[in-house]
Amino acid sequence: MAFRRSLIVASLAVSLSGLASTLPARAGGVNFGEDSDTNDGPSYFGFVRDSDGSPVAGARVTAAPKAGGSLVTRSNSMGVYKIPGFAKEIDPKTVDISCAKDGYSQASVLRRGQVDTKDPVEIDCTLQKQ
Amino acid sequence: MRCAMRCATRWATTWATTRIMRIALGVFAAVLFFVLVQPGRAQTLTGTVSSAAEGAMEGVLVSAQKDGSPITVTVVSDASGHFRFPDGRLSPGHYALRIRAIGYDLDGPQSVDLGATARDVAIRLRKTSDLAAQLTNTEWFMSMPGTAEDKRPLIECMSCHSFERIVRSTYDADSFVPVLKRMAQYANNTIQARVQSRVAARDVNDASVRKLAAYLATVNLSRGPVWNYELRTLPRPKGRATRVVVTEYDLPRKTIAPHDVRIDRNGQNGSGPNGSGPNGSGHVWYSDFVENFLGELDPQTGAVTEYPIPVAKPGFPAGTLDLEPDADGNLWLALMFQTGLARFDMARKTFKIFPLPAALNDDAMQQSMVMPASASVDGKVWTNDVARQSIMRLDTKTGAYERINPFAFLGNSHLHAPYGMAADKANDLYFMDFGGEAVGRVDAKSLAPTLFPTPTEKSRPRRTMLDAQGHLWFTEFAANKLAMFDLKTEAFKEWAVPTPHTYPYDVFRDKNGELWSGGMASDRVLRFDPQTGQSVEYLLPRPTNIRRVFVDDSTSPVTFWAGNNHGAAIVRLEPQD
Repeated sequence: MAFRRSLIVASLAVSLSGLASTLPARAGGVNFGEDSDTNDGPSYFGFVRDSDGSPVAGARVTAAPKAGGSLVTRSNSMGVYKIPGFAKEIDPKTVDISCAKDGYSQASVLRRGQVDTKDPVEIDCTLQKQ
Repeated sequence: MRCAMRCATRWATTWATTRIMRIALGVFAAVLFFVLVQPGRAQTLTGTVSSAAEGAMEGVLVSAQKDGSPITVTVVSDASGHFRFPDGRLSPGHYALRIRAIGYDLDGPQSVDLGATARDVAIRLRKTSDLAAQLTNTEWFMSMPGTAEDKRPLIECMSCHSFERIVRSTYDADSFVPVLKRMAQYANNTIQARVQSRVAARDVNDASVRKLAAYLATVNLSRGPVWNYELRTLPRPKGRATRVVVTEYDLPRKTIAPHDVRIDRNGQNGSGPNGSGPNGSGHVWYSDFVENFLGELDPQTGAVTEYPIPVAKPGFPAGTLDLEPDADGNLWLALMFQTGLARFDMARKTFKIFPLPAALNDDAMQQSMVMPASASVDGKVWTNDVARQSIMRLDTKTGAYERINPFAFLGNSHLHAPYGMAADKANDLYFMDFGGEAVGRVDAKSLAPTLFPTPTEKSRPRRTMLDAQGHLWFTEFAANKLAMFDLKTEAFKEWAVPTPHTYPYDVFRDKNGELWSGGMASDRVLRFDPQTGQSVEYLLPRPTNIRRVFVDDSTSPVTFWAGNNHGAAIVRLEPQD
């Protein structure tokens, strides 16, 4: 989908000069199934546990790359969270994962190694009861 | 003398008694007259529905439209085949009768004369010879062979036309390709009665088009005169779904496409937490998706008033989409390809246009959404730039727009599309990522974006409303779910709608906590209780392409309203319990 970015940039430049431009087909309407995810990077998941290793449900998990903005989700009853992720160009190593829950403080964040860059990225949190 | 006095007293007593009785009789007669022979009001129209195949039939919609009137009233037959129009709802006159019952046509009578006395009609149905003409988009989805992935692109087609147009076509895969490419250049505010072309060409992926064309050629009539698959249908309404009265108001032109509909009642504000509403006339206001008018309907008479919106970009598609009230009760419109925003002063009945600066106002520019509910906090109104998948914010004092790209931090990933919007009391924006699977938030002060992915992947959240408890109700269009996001706990709840392939467009939470939803596929209005999981689906009398839905909480039971986007009508649905 690199073409899309260049397309948008190009279209902005072209349109500002008053000429017709082409834009992605979604635009609130028809997309004919071309909503490809081929440029998406890996998803993220992990376990939120307390210092005893018990799962922590309902923890707020934030994934934030260097650019401004964040993806936020909650851990489930098993302490598991899942985040769809970012584009390929975002290096998982630059994505900060943090976990929080009332009554707890974040003790540690453990990044597991990826065998393949397409594999989901596992980042686990340990919370300490206050 | 005594006698005279007694007699006089007796006479007076008798006279008085007689007079009281006469007055009472007179009052009784007058009451009887108004009850039985109300001037200008016909007696109740009642009757039965039956067919040779089934005998008495439940769940048949019976519609009556008086000659020359824009108003059609519909009721539904009960378990014994009986139907009854509400007392006093139909005035004397000649009425055309219509029915809706999948698999059947009306055998007769085709019309009925209503006078001052009660009328009971026996309606006979016969098996239809053209079942395909009666299928909803949902039923075509159910019938067509193919995988979910094959069918997924078709959820876009419903925006402009029904599936009957596709399945009755005879294009083979190759000849479908240029048709699809041509349609991709139409504006999304297009209906069959008014096709509008985009000025800025859209890039269309050739491989995607060919894949879709190949699939469509397997479900249409390109290989023979009949479909090579069974036509599957949904059951007729029964039980609670038959206890309803539907009123359809035909609009004055076929080219009016009501998109967002709302009633001006005090205290009604389906999109923001402020709870204030317009002047409470009970009139219906609607945006017209394909013409530059704001419409006002008087539901008592069916009369329509149209307020022309200045055309800023001649030659570009006309029409507006989102219609939202601000805290003062004035209505705001997103001007689509005419670009920018408009505020309609409800007292003066005049528009103030907030145009985009020329540098931003290119050929592809399009505003589909507007959110002014909390503009009184900081003078800012939210909107979107559809073509560039970004949020924009208007400063109402200066007229300046600023751009926020809430997806930039994700990198150049799959397509996103900010759509339905709501604002909290601080005027922080909550929006739906219609292209993806998230509820988004933009902080009013820092403009920092946060995305909250829905539990269901590829859910494509569409329209939304924020209730006074801080619950954001929305539809997951592609996932066939209704959903709620709690602003405080940031937790989601999701409920699958009872009928597959419904593709809910919008949802409204009423005063009782029940959810009301509609869409472009099933011709049904969904009433859903998230506490119990119980649902009712009310079938509508005609093919009805529903967009924004609205519930009038001032009545009891509540009253549901929506536009028929492809049918040039406003629909009122009154549940009877």
